[in-house]
Amino acid sequence: MLVVDHIQRSFGSLAAVSDVSFTCGRGDVFGLLGPNGAGKTTTMRMILGIYEPDAGSITWDGRPIGLKIRRTFGYLPEERGLYGKMKVGEQIAYFGRLHGLRDDVARRRTVEWLKRLEIEHLAGRACSELSKGNQQKVQLAGALLHEPPLLVLDEPFSGLDPVNAEMTLECIRMLAARGTAFVLSSHQMWQIEHACREFCIIDCGRVRARGSLAELRRALPTRTVRVSPDSSPVRAVFTAHGATGPTVDAEGELAYELPAGTDFGVLLREVVAAGPVDAFERQEPSLSDIYVHALGNGVARGVRL
Amino acid sequence: MNEIVTVFSAEFMRRLRSRIYVGATLAGAFFIALIIEAPIIFGHLADTSTDGIVLAGPAPLRARAATLLQRRKAFRVTSQLDALPKPVTAAFLDRHGKAAAAIAISEQHRRLHLDVYARDLAAFDEVDFRSLVPLNIELATGIQARALMPALRIDRTVRGIDHKFVDTRSAAFAHAVASGLIFVLYVAIIFTSQSIMASVAEEKTSRIAEILIATISPVNLLTGKVLAAALLAIIQIAVWVATAALLFSSAIGSIFEGSSSGLAAADAAQASRLDLVDPRILIAFTFFFILGYLQYATVFAAAASLVSRVEDLASVSTPVMLPVIGALFAAIYALSAPETPLSITLSFVPFVGPFVMFARYAVENVPAWELGLAVAVNTLTVAAAFVGAGKVYQVGMLLYGKPPSFKQIVATLRA
Repeated sequence: MLVVDHIQRSFGSLAAVSDVSFTCGRGDVFGLLGPNGAGKTTTMRMILGIYEPDAGSITWDGRPIGLKIRRTFGYLPEERGLYGKMKVGEQIAYFGRLHGLRDDVARRRTVEWLKRLEIEHLAGRACSELSKGNQQKVQLAGALLHEPPLLVLDEPFSGLDPVNAEMTLECIRMLAARGTAFVLSSHQMWQIEHACREFCIIDCGRVRARGSLAELRRALPTRTVRVSPDSSPVRAVFTAHGATGPTVDAEGELAYELPAGTDFGVLLREVVAAGPVDAFERQEPSLSDIYVHALGNGVARGVRL
Repeated sequence: MNEIVTVFSAEFMRRLRSRIYVGATLAGAFFIALIIEAPIIFGHLADTSTDGIVLAGPAPLRARAATLLQRRKAFRVTSQLDALPKPVTAAFLDRHGKAAAAIAISEQHRRLHLDVYARDLAAFDEVDFRSLVPLNIELATGIQARALMPALRIDRTVRGIDHKFVDTRSAAFAHAVASGLIFVLYVAIIFTSQSIMASVAEEKTSRIAEILIATISPVNLLTGKVLAAALLAIIQIAVWVATAALLFSSAIGSIFEGSSSGLAAADAAQASRLDLVDPRILIAFTFFFILGYLQYATVFAAAASLVSRVEDLASVSTPVMLPVIGALFAAIYALSAPETPLSITLSFVPFVGPFVMFARYAVENVPAWELGLAVAVNTLTVAAAFVGAGKVYQVGMLLYGKPPSFKQIVATLRA
């Protein structure tokens, strides 16, 4: 299990990470969210030993992460990097050997992963000749060839079309099912919501929210209800329940924000009684909603695993 | 160790197959061949050889002169005639074995007199006809040249005192070889260190550095890269030295054969023997090349890690290049003055020592303790360079934008 415990890291006067803690067990997929400059990449680099934390500790299975342990990890950095003139197959096998694989094993697994990622026809091509998406796949294969117990993926879906993003998601699920722990960051909320079991939203180097999606939802103070058509009696019911809004969406439906503790059964009955209702939908907050709330007003702060 | 081997083998193969490396190796060999062969090629083009001559004059005098002239293989008498035509033309010389000159030999006032009609006046102006001195004395004194010959040669044995070489010829030859090798050392260090810089900059700009540093220690990464480049450089130098050796052994003979001097011809026979090159010099060259190269390559690699763009390499390479140039001049000085306090002191100065100590070793008997101290100092410098460069490399490889200040680099090294 990966345990990140109150880590801090500064660069000169800039505090990149002030206080971040989380855990990620084997088979877990942990999502690290935050705006640009929040401290995600620095946190990942500290996990991988590229940077030493100024304070706090990071352990894997109870032991500090030294060179020997971190060599077993896999890493896909945000900035993609490949040797432009090296052939795809050689490059993936080289990454495998760097992680301690024997040459024959690295070559065999390279062939397997090239097939799985549907880029076996590119094995003999120079990496500089590949599209951004295919380069992304080559890097992913290089990161997981040695079957790491922990894979750190920084923006793994960036540059991928929906089909390839789904393929990457499938790989993550498959490896997680085999026991690989994942720490990943992304700005693609849909993908990360479907990939991760646990989340940590950080901003300015500090944790703003942390927990499973259900826990984060529970901690959110408001819920959204969509209703149509609009009428004064219906509005009066919502106002009576302390709703804010409404806002009108693109389809002409009204959206009200209500306190999380609202009895939605009672609300529904009162709305139906107040007038004609074609649609009434209580929406579960998406990860994107939680993210915006967490960064906007910090309401989801303090949620613990 | 496995990490170093993995990086080493990948780096070695990647660069061995690169067109730039293959091209530079072949271009270097071609350039060396050109330097060695050019004097012969241009010599033939200018037709300034002085070996073929037409000899004219009274038969007995002419015959004795021909024997003396050909004795030391300085000249090849293509024809012997009673008299030369007037005027002597190039067509005449062409008809007589493409001779370089026609010489009319005569006795005037009991002395030998030569009238030389040469294609190249300058070439024959410098020709020394000392081999005809016995004939001149014979005409003046009546003593047979055959009887004079032993008296004209003084047997001698020259023994050096505390010197590396038994005679001046060997010393001069070793000096020439050492000069050439120092130049190769300089060129190899410059070229190879710069290719290391380019490789590091490529990894940084292509952003692959982050994966590498997350996987293996920067020192191991640096070591693998530097050692691979070292082996490639050694292969490259071996190709160049082998090319030089092959062409040198045949070419130097040709150069001296073209000379009119009998003594020079004898020198050529000696000099063309490559066994005059002490194999210990080549071993020392390899050893000091590795020591020098490892020091410079690590510093060059660390410097390259500080730039964000390949185009900016020149800005960091210039300060690192200055010690290499300084070391070259120090080595040239040490070749001519190997035992001065300055040369001895410079032998123990990091980065300069490998050049200077090799120069001194090549031309002088260097005390064992000095050799040992120089090797120890430079080995420690290599170790320190690896550790220091590894630290800068780790930080530098992830820095983009404005390069760190000198103060920040020093702080990194202290950390």
